[in-house]
Amino acid sequence: MFLNSVISKYHSLLPALVALGVISGCSSSYTPATAQIAVSSAAINNADGAGGQQYAPTDMNAAQEKMIRARKAMDDKNYPLANSLATQAQADAKLAQSKADSAKAKSAADALQEDIRVLQEELNHANQ
Amino acid sequence: MKTIKLTAALMLAVAFTTGCSSVPTTTSLLEQSHSDYSVAQQNADVSNYASLELKQAGDALNQADNAAQHHADADTVNRLAYIAKQKIALSQEVAKKKSAEASIPLEAQKRDQMRLEERNNEVDAAKQETLNAQTAALQAQAHSSLLAQQLADLSAKQTERGIVITLSDVLFATNQANLNPDGIRTIQKLSDILQQNLKRNVLIEGFTDSTGNTAHNQVLSERRANSVRGALQLAGITERRIVIRGYGQSYPVEPNDTAAHRQLNRRVEILLSDDTGELVSR
Repeated sequence: MFLNSVISKYHSLLPALVALGVISGCSSSYTPATAQIAVSSAAINNADGAGGQQYAPTDMNAAQEKMIRARKAMDDKNYPLANSLATQAQADAKLAQSKADSAKAKSAADALQEDIRVLQEELNHANQ
Repeated sequence: MKTIKLTAALMLAVAFTTGCSSVPTTTSLLEQSHSDYSVAQQNADVSNYASLELKQAGDALNQADNAAQHHADADTVNRLAYIAKQKIALSQEVAKKKSAEASIPLEAQKRDQMRLEERNNEVDAAKQETLNAQTAALQAQAHSSLLAQQLADLSAKQTERGIVITLSDVLFATNQANLNPDGIRTIQKLSDILQQNLKRNVLIEGFTDSTGNTAHNQVLSERRANSVRGALQLAGITERRIVIRGYGQSYPVEPNDTAAHRQLNRRVEILLSDDTGELVSR
């Protein structure tokens, strides 16, 4: 009700408001890529914590190198490039973390298989 | 005629331009991403365990394709194709992780069952060992009580040299070396003991009283000991387990003063070894 009354009251202002929204939407892609930089940094930290450096050094190094270039682009006020590099760094970091996670899961499964193999040998030996 | 030619040329030009404009931007990275994507699509683990990640990778690939369709520059297409490629790889890793994790509970259960089986085997083996030891102890006990009974039946005595069974003069024919039927029965009992106790050996010692000459007595004592050995061999005891000695009138058990004492001196003593088989001579 309140909204309706507001809309009707400022009816004449509506096109201007819409225009403003469109402009700010447009301009957001040219504002500093701070948010993407922060998200990508967090992704790199998470991957590092999960053992990315140990299990996926190539992807980790790629992510870190792109982040350095993204920050440099920020300094140069080349925000689209900064955003693009940070987005790629995020993809690299997420892949590194995923590789570390799958390697750990595989090694747990392998260790279990090895336990079973040894036990089977012991049981075979005992039943002889 | 000229007009027609011109029109045809114009149409060709239009067609050419249109054809050109409909060709999307292609890059080798975009092609690589497409190839990775179809590999991931054919991976059963990816569709089972990483369908969401594969969907996101597919969306990223569509963005790259859209950019290519709209003639974006190669850098833009490559940037989007790279993101798609990494997301496809991510879906493969998620599938690997989840399929490894999925195998764990069942395998862990299998391992625990095997551990339990191994533990049970160990317990069973220990029980069997205890049972065997108990059985062996019981058998040894029964065996030794049987032996004690058999030895008591033969009036055996424990001496410093070991267990001694004395065959009295009445078990031999008068003034002769051969055993009478009672003597044979006694030897039969002794052979039973020897057959049940294969590690034990016997030393057979013959003695006489002091009547008559020493040489005759020596020979008689040896012949009586020999006669006992012969009876044991007939009962199935191997010669290797038997040693004989004749001592003549030596080692009397009583003074040779009365007929009763002299009869006690006329005897054969049988020394039964322990399980080492060693015999101690006089």
